[in-house]
Amino acid sequence: MNNPSITGEATEAAIAILPGVHARDRAARGTGRTRRTPVWATVVLVVAAVYFLLPLYATAAFGFSTGKHFTLQPLFDGLADEGFHSSLYLSVLYSVVTTILALAVVAPTAYLVELRFPRLRATVEFLTILPFVIPPIIMAVGLSVVYGINSPVNLIASDWAPVLLIGGYFVLTLPFTFRAIDNALRAVDVRMLSEAAASLGASPTRTFLRVIVPSISLGLVSAALLAFTTAMGEFTLASLLGYATFPVYLLNINGYQPREGEALVLVSFFITWAGVIALAVIARKTPGTQIVRGGPM
Amino acid sequence: MSRLELENVFKQFGDQVAVRDFSLSVEDGELVSFLGPSGCGKTTTLRMTAGFESPDSGSVVVDGFDVTDLPPNRRGMGMVFQGYALFPNMTAAENVDFGLAVRKRPAAERRARVAELLELFGLAHVAGSYPHQMSGGQQQRVALARAVAIQPGVLLLDEPLSAVDAKVREELRTEIRRMQVQLQITTILVTHDQSEALSISDRVVVMNHGAIEEVGTPTQIYAEPRSAFTAGFIGAMNEIPVRVISTSGGVVERGGKRVTAPVAAELNDGELGLLLVRPESLEPLGPSSGSLNGDLTLTGRVEVQTFLGATTRLLLREVPAAGDRSAPPSTRLLAVDVPSASAGRWPAGSQMEVRIPVKASRVIAGQSAAGKPAAPANLDA
Repeated sequence: MNNPSITGEATEAAIAILPGVHARDRAARGTGRTRRTPVWATVVLVVAAVYFLLPLYATAAFGFSTGKHFTLQPLFDGLADEGFHSSLYLSVLYSVVTTILALAVVAPTAYLVELRFPRLRATVEFLTILPFVIPPIIMAVGLSVVYGINSPVNLIASDWAPVLLIGGYFVLTLPFTFRAIDNALRAVDVRMLSEAAASLGASPTRTFLRVIVPSISLGLVSAALLAFTTAMGEFTLASLLGYATFPVYLLNINGYQPREGEALVLVSFFITWAGVIALAVIARKTPGTQIVRGGPM
Repeated sequence: MSRLELENVFKQFGDQVAVRDFSLSVEDGELVSFLGPSGCGKTTTLRMTAGFESPDSGSVVVDGFDVTDLPPNRRGMGMVFQGYALFPNMTAAENVDFGLAVRKRPAAERRARVAELLELFGLAHVAGSYPHQMSGGQQQRVALARAVAIQPGVLLLDEPLSAVDAKVREELRTEIRRMQVQLQITTILVTHDQSEALSISDRVVVMNHGAIEEVGTPTQIYAEPRSAFTAGFIGAMNEIPVRVISTSGGVVERGGKRVTAPVAAELNDGELGLLLVRPESLEPLGPSSGSLNGDLTLTGRVEVQTFLGATTRLLLREVPAAGDRSAPPSTRLLAVDVPSASAGRWPAGSQMEVRIPVKASRVIAGQSAAGKPAAPANLDA
């Protein structure tokens, strides 16, 4: 587990509990017949489980060991390290700000696209998946050139430097946040709900905050988790722009205290999973997340 | 309670005209239905009234104030949607309360009003339920209560009953009428269901291709349709070819017999016209039938019997009278409604002679009403 990124696992897990996916699963369960699980399915499951669990086991075996027997000492050492505290604080701070920014920008944008500018959907979708096409390293180089010390807009050397990283994180989270919120918006009839609220006298802002936001709360929680985990696990931008975030710290500590590093990787992995499980619990308990549709439209 | 006026409203989507020159006055406390087939512009007209669409020209006036440029949230109109549009994150009571909260009414007043409306619509027992926990009928009642809660000047109902099942639909339409009369709310109901429009409206606006075809009371629309479209669209209508002998004198000929009937002015002497007569107006003739008294008769072979409850509808294929050169036989099946108790007298394949009450009918220009294909397409209703 030398790769300090925790994004991949968390993202997949969070996508699995997006509202749309949820609904499909429920539909499949509702119509499916009980059949015996075929042997090949069990084989695939076992192979996949081994593929994913073996690295975890290896990480644990290395991190919680003196080389001969089991010990939690590397974990205690890692947790006591000053660099661990400062880097974790930095990552959590930047990730929270990124998450708030992502929700505040993406949710109203996706709402307006759905309600007022449906023709812009294709363009907006294309823009939001650009981070999949443009590697973070290109973005890092671009940001260094445009906002670097030789640029007229020198952000890197100013007090506003974190804006650069948070802005980069925001862009990187777009494919996940837009999709999660857009899925939730499409699961409710945004146009009809908005018109109903307007007919009752609600302003567009009130309609968005009091009707739309609660109706897509599950999508917003998913988007928040996706944004947070993406930012928490991001390595390339932070490293190249010179920020000592948690993933950068993990890579560094792996170089000189590998057992402590692996123990902390495992801790971060389980923290992420706790978040995903918490999200699933919230999803089940959120009232009114069921889709309400009248009938033929 | 308000007076609503739509003045020369026109709306076009691309090069498709959705509504043309729509003018209508709806009086205080009146319930007016917009009735017509899909795509006739009735919903677009309603949405322009509500403010969700802007007319290209024309105006919407409420109590003398032009509201054409006002956003929907400032028009003070309540609206009920086809798909309920209840807020899924709110209980029934919270849904009903929403408009009152927007208006910042005192909490005590809101509570009392919500309780009163839930009671009025028989929803007190589901006050704390979320929309997905309620039946379709209950959801639509909540939607009605929510729209009425704000005491709207005008209530707009966009096909409110199309998503509920037949039994609930009948209950709800009676309830809508009862509530509307009790609260005296000026109401527009958009529907494609003629029985819904005819049963609860003060007036019905029949629409076709974006324009008003006809406006009248349900009785006028049903009994004396002024256009071929209305005649074909509302209820079942037989169209029997007749030769116009004299338009001014109202004389028509069929089967060698000349009778007087109300003839549309646009018909010329010598032309073929269509005599419109409802299935329930055609009277089976038997040995004991009285004199024909200036009415026409027609003989047909029963092809199908359709049981409708108290009555049974017989579909006849006309047997042309020998040597009749005045008018061709009807190309469409003719519907005759008879009491179900006596329907056994005319099994499929048997011959039947019916009296056509000419004076109670109308003769219109000889194209098929509503441009519909051959019967029995227009005999379903």
